[in-house]
Amino acid sequence: MNKDYWNKPAMGLWERLYIFEVIRGLCITGSVFFGNMWKWLTLRKGALTAYYPEEVRSDYSPNNRGRHVLTQRENGEVQCVSCNMCATVCPAYCIEILSTANFDDVFHPKAPERFEIDYSRCIFCGFCVEACPEDAIRMIKDIPDFPAFDRDTMCAPLDLLLNWRPTRDPAKVYPTQPQNGEVHPWAA
Amino acid sequence: MIELTIDNMTVQAHEGETVLQAALKHGIEIPHFCYHPCLSIAGNCRVCLVKVDGRPKLMPSCNLEATPGMRIETVSEEVLAARAAVMQFIILNHPGDCGICDKAGECRVQDYHVRYGEIDPVSIEPKHRKPKLYDLSPRISLDNERCILCSRCVRFTREVSGSHMLGIVERGCHSRVARLEGKVFDDPYSDNIISICPTGALLSRDFLYKSRVWYLEPVRSVCTGCARCCSVNVWRRRKRWHVRSLGAEKNAAAYRITPGENPEINGHWICNKGFDLHKAMGRPRALAPLIAGRSASVEEALQEGMKMLSEAVNPAALISAHASNEELEAFRIALGSRMRVYTREDHSPQPGEVLEDDLLIRADKNPNSRGVRELFGDRPYDATAGHDLVLVWGDLDDYAPLGKARILHLTSFVPPQGQSADLLIPISTVFERSGTFTNFEGKANRFDQVFDKPKLVQHAGELFGGLAA
Ligand code: SF4
Ligand code: SF4
Ligand code: SF4
Ligand code: SF4
Ligand code: FES
Repeated sequence: MNKDYWNKPAMGLWERLYIFEVIRGLCITGSVFFGNMWKWLTLRKGALTAYYPEEVRSDYSPNNRGRHVLTQRENGEVQCVSCNMCATVCPAYCIEILSTANFDDVFHPKAPERFEIDYSRCIFCGFCVEACPEDAIRMIKDIPDFPAFDRDTMCAPLDLLLNWRPTRDPAKVYPTQPQNGEVHPWAA
Repeated sequence: MIELTIDNMTVQAHEGETVLQAALKHGIEIPHFCYHPCLSIAGNCRVCLVKVDGRPKLMPSCNLEATPGMRIETVSEEVLAARAAVMQFIILNHPGDCGICDKAGECRVQDYHVRYGEIDPVSIEPKHRKPKLYDLSPRISLDNERCILCSRCVRFTREVSGSHMLGIVERGCHSRVARLEGKVFDDPYSDNIISICPTGALLSRDFLYKSRVWYLEPVRSVCTGCARCCSVNVWRRRKRWHVRSLGAEKNAAAYRITPGENPEINGHWICNKGFDLHKAMGRPRALAPLIAGRSASVEEALQEGMKMLSEAVNPAALISAHASNEELEAFRIALGSRMRVYTREDHSPQPGEVLEDDLLIRADKNPNSRGVRELFGDRPYDATAGHDLVLVWGDLDDYAPLGKARILHLTSFVPPQGQSADLLIPISTVFERSGTFTNFEGKANRFDQVFDKPKLVQHAGELFGGLAA
């Protein structure tokens, strides 16, 4: 196939002579190999490969933000009010929310019916967490486990986001009873 | 003409114009809640305060007639401080729930608060609670906490629609908008108050929580509900906000309809039927050509249509009053001389529908009857003329009145139950093409294409040339 790549290398005479460049490459890989082996022989870390997904690296920083959770209210409902701030700020356009109305619940009239994060697009910037006014979405130390053959199937749905690691301590707490309420004559 | 000075700029105003109107006309922004160009002056929100040279106090510019030589300041420190204080007062008990308010993004309270308001509230009292999500009517939900009592909605029912169905009851911080006691708020123009409410107090229940407004963009279109041909805005999803996992059909859905301002035809308003235009267009569609009830490819259908037309001895055409002027012209050029042309009303008034009134609604429930009449006159179908082929263009509920003639039906929506035309070719709706309608007064109104047409659906205007060949 004769495909033109935008970053096609420009080869000079030296590169075309081939053998010298190959030897240079072998030197680079070789030095890394022996360097790592030396570390291993002297009982230091360095050359160890984690066998993902059987093994998970244990040395992620505590600040790692690898995966989203949606927090829950006291009664287990999703804390999210479906304001779409996260979806709006997301630079990868990877959050999609479908809202429902619940006219009877004064403290949760708007809630997400579907909440999808497309991990094939997410760039793990954490903007969604910053934007959320409800402390409803957080990112915690983990990895998004979405190996798939098809990018369309790499979405995390509401159920998963809410329940894969249940979190019930959102900073904003909703009361359960209306306070200081004025009852509408026809609403009663 | 009067000359006055606003912010060191000399502007001209007509006799009787207010300072606010003169300023807005010249692109000087003065915030305003209660002022609306089509309603009377209420002067109750006070956010439009300006400094008038030589007067000790600030004046509301919406209620201040322009006089020659007036010197107005709209951005001096004094004015800005007063504005911030007014904003502070207006949102004293405002719930601040923009996160779940559909108005957010096109809300005056939000915009003005960001632009002119103070950041820190001075109130130490807890906010006053009022009923939320109250169903003012089956179409409208009212949130009394968000209402700023500007009375635009009340003035609308008194001055524009004339139903006098809304009022403001109680006093002080208990004041709230209410409908006539014991009555249903069934004003045929009721949804306009959603558009003119400067806050999220009045929201459409149909659109409620369907989408944030900044995901949407308006496209200019025309209502097909009656012969007035009001301009409307059809709101579709912006390209960059197209959804993937929620389903691609959401990207090709009309989310809501709002009035399109058109001083020549409908002013600022449309009727509720116009607000429901997307529902009318959402009826079950005819999506594939059918030859005697069996689905066929587009080429087969066109072949069949050509054959039917060339075989016919005495063909007739029933012209749709939902066709655009451009399509009518295309038909006239291609087939007009080969067929006897009859006109008809695709849609007659539904039971319970307002037939006609002084404001907008017309008794003829089709958009382009006038355009049809100008090209083809006015001739209802004559079943005794012995036609052997009828080309039916537009919706038709029953083929029986057409007699024994073969039927070639061009329609956007599913044909009558249990009957099948000899050939049915699906055509695009008003959302899927652009063109013009001529309203009953003879004014042409243009509509733009909002969505792409489904694959097997044809534009009627492009069909006739092929059929005539
Ligand atoms: S981390 Fe960034 S890219 Fe990922 S969902 Fe949040 S805002 Fe979007
Ligand atoms: S997660 Fe937070 S920002 Fe996103 S929609 Fe829910 S409440 Fe809004
Ligand atoms: S409901 Fe809206 S339009 Fe009516 S008074 Fe309140 S803020 Fe004004
Ligand atoms: S008055 Fe007629 S054209 Fe205007 S919105 Fe109502 S039905 Fe549509
Ligand atoms: S706009 Fe002038 S007082 Fe409301």
